[in-house]
Amino acid sequence: MTLEDPHPSDEEMLLAADGELPPGRARTVNRHLAGCWTCRTRMSQLETTIRSFLEVHRSGLDPRLPSATGPRALLKAQLAELAAADRRGPVLRLFPLSFTRTVTICLSAAVLATAAAVLLTHSPRGDRAPPVIPEANLTPGATRPTTRADVCRSDPDQSLRVIPVSVRQKVFESYGLPHARPEAYEVDYLITPELGGSGDIRNLWPQPYSSTVWNAHVKDALEDRLHEMVCNGTLNLETAQHDIASNWIAAYKKYFHADTPITR
Amino acid sequence: MELSLPVPAAAGRRPARADLESEVIALFDQLRSPLLRYVLSTGVRVQEAEEIVQEVFLSLYRHVRMGRSRSNLRGWIFRVAHNLALKQHESSRRQGGAAGGSPDLAERSCDPAPDPEEQMALRERRKRLLAVLRALPEQDQSCLYLRAEGLRYREIAHVLDMSLGSVSISLTRSLARLQRADGG
Repeated sequence: MTLEDPHPSDEEMLLAADGELPPGRARTVNRHLAGCWTCRTRMSQLETTIRSFLEVHRSGLDPRLPSATGPRALLKAQLAELAAADRRGPVLRLFPLSFTRTVTICLSAAVLATAAAVLLTHSPRGDRAPPVIPEANLTPGATRPTTRADVCRSDPDQSLRVIPVSVRQKVFESYGLPHARPEAYEVDYLITPELGGSGDIRNLWPQPYSSTVWNAHVKDALEDRLHEMVCNGTLNLETAQHDIASNWIAAYKKYFHADTPITR
Repeated sequence: MELSLPVPAAAGRRPARADLESEVIALFDQLRSPLLRYVLSTGVRVQEAEEIVQEVFLSLYRHVRMGRSRSNLRGWIFRVAHNLALKQHESSRRQGGAAGGSPDLAERSCDPAPDPEEQMALRERRKRLLAVLRALPEQDQSCLYLRAEGLRYREIAHVLDMSLGSVSISLTRSLARLQRADGG
């Protein structure tokens, strides 16, 4: 240590500890540390603080980390699907460009839906035709114990709104669409949770965004109408559940008195 | 550790797809826990954090398949995750739901100290540290949490869109505050 060798600043100490100093400056700081007990103590306090922080930080997070096995398998399956879609045609090759950017900048459901719809109209798929109406044996509809008072509360239970990826994948498989691009479908409740529908797989089906007439938005309108009727007492809950489960398109025609979706 | 990611440096040539898939899986194996921890530390719930991590690695596959830049892949991965976590926060705020908030870190005592008094002191210290952590500006917290997952300064700068200098200033400032709370 020479007299012209001042104590490094706190920032430089950290940069030195983290190996982020340029080599020349790192040598100077190390030489200083070797000669200066004061700064060595500072350095060891810095390391102690880092250790304390890391311990507190990790002890709150590590016990919450689920096993990687399931997510790893799911990622593998989805990658295989992406690769397969890739081999199917040049139209699909163009898609990821916009998709990556979309995901990075903003994952907007609307953009995805449009892109998926465009994609589907341009490329016939190997999987079965997507179902506009769910298959009764696969998706008969399932409800949870609910009363009219429950579904008409002002603060409905939102806990069912998010369908886990693993459940979505099972729905695709049961519909013979193991290679479905998740972006092309809304995995939808047949009986909406707002009408007492449950998150059971028997109440879920892959609704294609691509169907232009009887699509998810039309079904949303029906759900709103039925909910309104149940809550104003003009329809009982069981009938609403039954009608939407047996054929939602027929139910739409019945409750809107219209043969085609009403554009709003 | 200077990016020991198992990515072939062959820039000009496009690897076969099977290679890309196993490459992405290898990165998943290496980075899943750090990434999940970081997303969780932003206050996103476990279920949603898992979905974000899936989305990140699917995007990564698309990214490398397009032959995009493979430099700073770890920074890229954390940046995508960071942005998705922000989006998740926005949408749960819009829905009026709590974004999970900060987990109950303080209440968890992991290694039981031999005697109760010591244990009490340990808990108190943790509480103080957590209080300081939570009071830090969001960006300072992000810097610390990213550094805790092993990211170098230039990677942190890339993830958070900051200059290198701001990263070291932020880390220095936060550690100084933590040190005071730690009784140092």
